[in-house]
Amino acid sequence: MAIHKIILASFLVYLMIQFSHGATKERLFSDLEKDALDVTAKPSRQGVLDAGIDKLSITWKLSSTAKKQANFKTIKVKLCYAPVSQVDRPWRKTENELFKDKTCPHKIITRAYNKSSQSFKYTLDRDIPTGTYFVRTYAVDAKDHEVAFGQSTNEAKTTNLFSVQAISGRHKSLDIASVCFSVFSVLALLVFFVNEKRKAKLEQSK
Amino acid sequence: MAPNHSNENGSIGSSLHGVTAREQIFCFSVEDGPSSQAIRSDDPTAKFALPVDSEHRAKVFKPLSFAKPHMRAFHLGWISFFTCFISTFAAAPLVPVIRDNLDLTKTDIGNAGVASVSGAIFSRLAMGAVCDLLGARYGTAFSLMLSAPAVFSMSFVADAGSYLAVRFMIGFCLATFVSCQYWTSVMFTGKIIGLVNGCAGGWGDMGGGVTQLLMPMVFHVIKLTGATPFSAWRFAFFIPGFLQIIMGILVLTLGQDLPDGNLSTLQKSGQVSKDKFSKVFWFAVKNYRTWILFVLYGFSMGVELTINNVISGYFYDRFNLTLHTAGIVAASFGMANFFARPFGGYASDVAARLFGMRGRLWTLWILQTVGALFCIWLGRASSLPIAILAMMLFSVGTQAACGALFGVAPFVSRRSLGLISGLTGAGGNFGSGVTQLLFFSSSRFSTAEGLSLMGVMAVVCTIPVAFIHFPQWGSMFLRPSQHEERSKEEHYYGGEWTEEEKSLGLHEGSIKFAENSRSERGRKAVLADIPTPETGSPAHV
Repeated sequence: MAIHKIILASFLVYLMIQFSHGATKERLFSDLEKDALDVTAKPSRQGVLDAGIDKLSITWKLSSTAKKQANFKTIKVKLCYAPVSQVDRPWRKTENELFKDKTCPHKIITRAYNKSSQSFKYTLDRDIPTGTYFVRTYAVDAKDHEVAFGQSTNEAKTTNLFSVQAISGRHKSLDIASVCFSVFSVLALLVFFVNEKRKAKLEQSK
Repeated sequence: MAPNHSNENGSIGSSLHGVTAREQIFCFSVEDGPSSQAIRSDDPTAKFALPVDSEHRAKVFKPLSFAKPHMRAFHLGWISFFTCFISTFAAAPLVPVIRDNLDLTKTDIGNAGVASVSGAIFSRLAMGAVCDLLGARYGTAFSLMLSAPAVFSMSFVADAGSYLAVRFMIGFCLATFVSCQYWTSVMFTGKIIGLVNGCAGGWGDMGGGVTQLLMPMVFHVIKLTGATPFSAWRFAFFIPGFLQIIMGILVLTLGQDLPDGNLSTLQKSGQVSKDKFSKVFWFAVKNYRTWILFVLYGFSMGVELTINNVISGYFYDRFNLTLHTAGIVAASFGMANFFARPFGGYASDVAARLFGMRGRLWTLWILQTVGALFCIWLGRASSLPIAILAMMLFSVGTQAACGALFGVAPFVSRRSLGLISGLTGAGGNFGSGVTQLLFFSSSRFSTAEGLSLMGVMAVVCTIPVAFIHFPQWGSMFLRPSQHEERSKEEHYYGGEWTEEEKSLGLHEGSIKFAENSRSERGRKAVLADIPTPETGSPAHV
């Protein structure tokens, strides 16, 4: 039992050290400057986009109403869930505390801040889930803290949304291997069973 | 009468080590075979690696040995069960990937979790009967090899419905729990059954913890070979599938149903009589203690199964850990089983030595209630270290309670042992289904609230243990019966057979069991009056 106590204690100490690094955890989304960047995200075609195949044309530039641009060091472009894709999915919830917020988990690109208009052609990653999305860009300062953002949709996140269909992840080779092993399993069992019944009958007839 | 150390229960004549009570002619017997013509030449006790009782069940437990048939059965049993736990909960640590691939909602995930434990309700019931009728080996092998196809079919899953269906079918393999406990119960004697069942059950349950580490690791390795996440998780399921097939083959080739041989061989040669399923079923269902154990196990093992499904996601989402770290934390819950459940069984055995069956019942109540209280604390903990501490204490309490319960279960019935193991085991899954459905399948409660409420429900549902009463041994608060006949173990176990069956001598196994179970009187076992056996079999003089 002693070794278990030691392991548990050291684990707890390790976690407490990790946890104490959270000095920046009270930064809020509502403190960020809204609409500091004008962002557009144009799908390469109409309808539901296919992950891994279709592209998005993303452009961003400094908005005329921006105030804090002196602090901008880097621009982080992210793919975010629209509210309809967050229903009954608490792991995608929008929270005000930035470290807890799970709205924008998918990174698109990170670039140094440039006053002029920037663009990027993004091919949807193959691990993007099925859902409805928009694009948001965070302006980050030298301390890697977000100071402002801009997004391709309105504040209520209802306009300019696009839908993505994920890849299925299925493969023919997987399917075939699966069937083969399943059949083997059932057959092996039957063979053993029948064999033993036969041997037992032989014993009895002796 | 001073008990000599070679005896089983202090009963007279038990120094006649080697008498199987099948001899018709002689009262005494000696061990060295060739010199005495009186012994049947196939007296098998001399062949066992471990000392055995009159039913050829081992009296000692040597976990590091693989000797035939007892220790081998133990190891095959618990490893099969371990493998099934890995398969059943293999999806849980990968849910963050699966939910993205299949576009699942919280409701879908919760329902699939319920489904994963519901299948076993029926399969555990069926398994009890299968073991009684076909033997533990085939029970285990059927479970492993017929559910392996379900594990492989994760490669076909495309939406919430098929995901739920596959998890439901994989869940059937949890029936190995029953076959494993049945197998150890026929291989090991009553005095150590708490510890043996606790080890077998606990080490098997560890699979629920190991899978939380194993599956993310396998998933990572497969991704390194270039597969996308949405394919990698499907391929990862092949590992539990392979393990199941391998274990199934090992069980069939290396295992043995009973100490004396395989069931079909023994039945055909007339040494073991075939029992009628309807009778076995009736005596299991008629006994109210079965149903109390059903509920109790629902809130010890049931809670444990639920936690296996939700805890990884809970730590991932609430404390923002990575998939890997959440898996480690979740794994420690399941891994505590390694010592916690055997500890519960051992505590039950020690309590029985001192206080008899009453000690076993109190041990069970205390462990389960304490575990449930820590579950309430876990839900309320808002910092990670406190949550982990609460979770570890909760895991020890609940898992030890599972072990303690199976220190009681083998004594509820002899005739329907398999079916009662099955019903109790089914109760575990039923409890898990109920708790997942009530607390973890909708957005009504947050997962944290769900955990605390589940703890409260567990405390309440542990109270029925006070109502388990054995006429020969008493209960938590009542003394044993003073009635001349009812206070004997033979009366309780003999009561499962009709007079007609008794006249045919079919109940002899139960009588032997009754004599061996005198240890449940606690310290009073030494002073117990030994009744003359009703059939006049000359095992004791």
